[in-house]
Amino acid sequence: MAGNSLELMQGTLDVLILKSLSWGPLHGYAVAEVVRERSGEELKVEEGALYPALHRLEKRGLLEAEWGLSENNRRAKFYRLTSAGRAHLRAETQAWQRYVAAVSRVLEAA
Amino acid sequence: MRYPGFKRLLKLAVRPRAVEQDVDEELLFHLEMRAARYEREGLSPAEARAAAEREFGDVGRVREECVRIGHERERKMKRFLLWDALVQDVRYALRMLRQAPGFALVAVLTLALGIGATTSIFSVVRGVLLRPLPFAAPERLVRMWQASPSQNQARGEVSPLDFADWKARQRSFEDLGTWWYVEGMSGSNLSGDGEPQRLPAAFVSDGFFSTLGVAPLLGRALLPGEHLPGHNAVAVLSHGLWQRRFGGDRGILGRTLTIDEVPTTVVGVMPAGFDFPSERVDLWLSDSRISESGIPRLRQVRWQSVVARLKPGVSLEAARSEMNGVARQLAEEYPATNVQTTGVTVLPLHEAVTGDVRVGLMVLLGAVGFLLLIACVNVANLMLTRATARERELAVRAALGAGPGRLVGQLLTESLVLALLGGAFGVLLAVWGTELLVAFSVKQLPRLREVRVDGAVLAFAMGATLFTGVLFGLLPAWRARSPQLAPVLKAAGRGMTGTGGARLRGALVVAEVALAVVLMAGAGLSVRSLMSLLSVEPGFRPEGAVVVSFSSSPGARPKAQYLAEVLERVREVPGVQVAGTAKNLPLEGSGEPAPLVLAGQPAESAADAPRVRHLHVSNDYFRAMGIPLLRGRAFTPQDMGNAPPVLMVNEAFVRRFFPGEDAVGQGIQWDDTVAPIVGVVGDVRQESLSEPAPPLVYVHVLQNTRSSVNLVVRGQGAPLQLAAAVRQAIWSVNPDQTITRITTLEEVVGGSVARPRLIASLLGLFAVLALVLGAVGIYGVLAYTVGQRQREIGVRLALGARPAEVLSMVLRSGMRLAGLGVALGVAGALALSQVMGSILYGVAPHDPLTFGGVAVVLLGVALAACLVPARRAMRVDPAVSLRAE
Repeated sequence: MAGNSLELMQGTLDVLILKSLSWGPLHGYAVAEVVRERSGEELKVEEGALYPALHRLEKRGLLEAEWGLSENNRRAKFYRLTSAGRAHLRAETQAWQRYVAAVSRVLEAA
Repeated sequence: MRYPGFKRLLKLAVRPRAVEQDVDEELLFHLEMRAARYEREGLSPAEARAAAEREFGDVGRVREECVRIGHERERKMKRFLLWDALVQDVRYALRMLRQAPGFALVAVLTLALGIGATTSIFSVVRGVLLRPLPFAAPERLVRMWQASPSQNQARGEVSPLDFADWKARQRSFEDLGTWWYVEGMSGSNLSGDGEPQRLPAAFVSDGFFSTLGVAPLLGRALLPGEHLPGHNAVAVLSHGLWQRRFGGDRGILGRTLTIDEVPTTVVGVMPAGFDFPSERVDLWLSDSRISESGIPRLRQVRWQSVVARLKPGVSLEAARSEMNGVARQLAEEYPATNVQTTGVTVLPLHEAVTGDVRVGLMVLLGAVGFLLLIACVNVANLMLTRATARERELAVRAALGAGPGRLVGQLLTESLVLALLGGAFGVLLAVWGTELLVAFSVKQLPRLREVRVDGAVLAFAMGATLFTGVLFGLLPAWRARSPQLAPVLKAAGRGMTGTGGARLRGALVVAEVALAVVLMAGAGLSVRSLMSLLSVEPGFRPEGAVVVSFSSSPGARPKAQYLAEVLERVREVPGVQVAGTAKNLPLEGSGEPAPLVLAGQPAESAADAPRVRHLHVSNDYFRAMGIPLLRGRAFTPQDMGNAPPVLMVNEAFVRRFFPGEDAVGQGIQWDDTVAPIVGVVGDVRQESLSEPAPPLVYVHVLQNTRSSVNLVVRGQGAPLQLAAAVRQAIWSVNPDQTITRITTLEEVVGGSVARPRLIASLLGLFAVLALVLGAVGIYGVLAYTVGQRQREIGVRLALGARPAEVLSMVLRSGMRLAGLGVALGVAGALALSQVMGSILYGVAPHDPLTFGGVAVVLLGVALAACLVPARRAMRVDPAVSLRAE
């Protein structure tokens, strides 16, 4: 099942989690699925790393958690972006884009 | 840890949702979702579960990490909530204080006074008693004296010969050294470089600097070889002298100064804090510079003070028993000189330096601590009164859901905010008070330079502040923990007169009065002690005499001739009636101890002979001092130089050696001849006002000269003008004669009681403050009670009670509290005053007069404090107070 998915780079998991929650509250399982689908099955979230990351973001006040009912009527813990989390996502996204652009410029300079 | 399997997780006991439970449920949900998906893809349930677990990785580790993060988050939340509550409480407390500015002002000032006074005294105690001495490993330093148990003499100086034997025979010490320094006597003349100056100097032996282990700021200390004659033209300067006289010039090293007419090279400068053996010392010189004619190096000539450093691990006890053994050996080997010096006193240096001020300072610290307690009790009383008035507010808050913890927290916060405000002002007061204390106690306390408000003192002030805040806040807060809602709300607006509250306030007043009594008793005792010291008949007439002191520098003339010339010129000064000199003035020391052999006793008995003090005085000294001549004659100018030596003695001498006989005409062995006693004078307190006169032999200074001269002059005109004229007369003999002090005999007496006076004034100040606070406390409680009972009093008056009856009722209730407080306070003071025994003179620690006086004064003040509210109660208008309902 590992397939040929790309390994996640250090530090990008947090941004991906924040981004996937920017469309609305999700539980942990759904976060993993969303990241996989949106990346065209290219990125695969390491489930062992996902939950500690979620909890750390919650501790930092970037996420809020609440127990709710899942699509199949099970109790599940839903995460939601806080306004601090939204600001953090914006800043991280910009930084990432500048980083990618700079690396690309170097790599594509023939 | 193994993951326990899906189902078992669901069986976890239902408790307040713990972090563990949340994490388990969340992970279980994930695994089940994943397993369900695999099942949909065609795997059997068992395979699907296994695949889901495999996919997830190490479930146990993830669970542990999530739980850890969860706990951290909870702690963070808790801290945040606590902080939030604290901020709320502080804000609320500040608002309450703004609404009651009178209460806030009184409380803050009371606390500031208590904390400020306590912190000031503590800063002195810390600098003088608690701070380690500024030497390397100071806990191993000791001071040693030669002891003569048979003479009841524990602290004698040591001769260089004995010291050399001590040093050679001991095994307990790493290093030993000696010094000679006597205030006003051991000094050196610095000349040839600016105006001539007399500098206080310590004459030290090899080992002095190395024992103390303090590195010089510049250059080096004296080398062992520099204590040998011919190589000792070197000096170490104090930081003060280097700054004062040489402007801190680093080029001072290697410069040659003329010290006592000897060209001397400066080899070192000590750092600023180095003030051993005294903060006055400006020069450290080798004691080999003192000539044989100045101090003969004989075993029986004892003048050195000893400091030593214990080897690591050697106990004080071990060193003591070893040194006593050495002293006994020497007594056997040199019976002629050492038969009496059979012991050695060894004390930690710190104790030796601070010894006799310890009791006084601790009494002051205790007193000021009591003052702080009184301040606490007063503020607690104020808080209680307010808390009663606020019962309604608290009840409403409780009704709206504030838990008991929250209410107690809020009231405690208010107390702490008050205490912190008080503490802040208190620290300001302390900074100022410490400076004042230091200024007042110059010369009275050792190590004053080390007194300052530093981190430790501030920590003490902070501790005192928090302590007081909790102390006076706890009672009201405790009472507020469960306000009774229904009765309070029913009482609708009228304050409650909880009987429990009244009893509590009464107890506080009793405590306050008792504490004030203890303080007043301490102050009363020390004032009485000072008064009895001052009323001691010193044996001379201090009024109207001028003192001019100097260390004679005769130049080429013989000392006796120089002194005779000076005296002659001084007596010629217009207005001078009589002038005489003494080596030591009364209250400043008894002169030199020497063995006394009466005529007819064998000369060999000198070793066992009793040692008697010999004081060198000039003719006319007794007239100038107003010391009565009882029998025979006084010294005359004819008792000079080659004339046969004559001696005088005091009454104590006659009582001891010639009881019931006429001492005049008796002889004393004097070198090779016998000197007759020509006169007897009255006893004079030589050591201090509190010590009776020792037997004393007076030697005529013109027959047996001494350098140290205290000239006592009585005459007409203002003392200072007289002194200036006397100084001119001295300079007319020798323009280079340095003068070390000009003062009056009255000031010499005043200086000798400066320390008891300092303690008495401080204790008196604290006692007055305690009295005022106590009076305010009694007044406050009674005024409040009268206010509360206005209706009852109104009813009584309406029913025909006479105003005088109301007055006496209120007075009785107040005086009952005061009386109980006085009784308890007297009992406590009787127990505590015992510690003051050693600093009291002429008054017993349980002096009935003092205690009676204190009781009367306090009851009087309490009566006055009760009278105001009592008279108000008497004038209550029944109609008004009943209508107020």
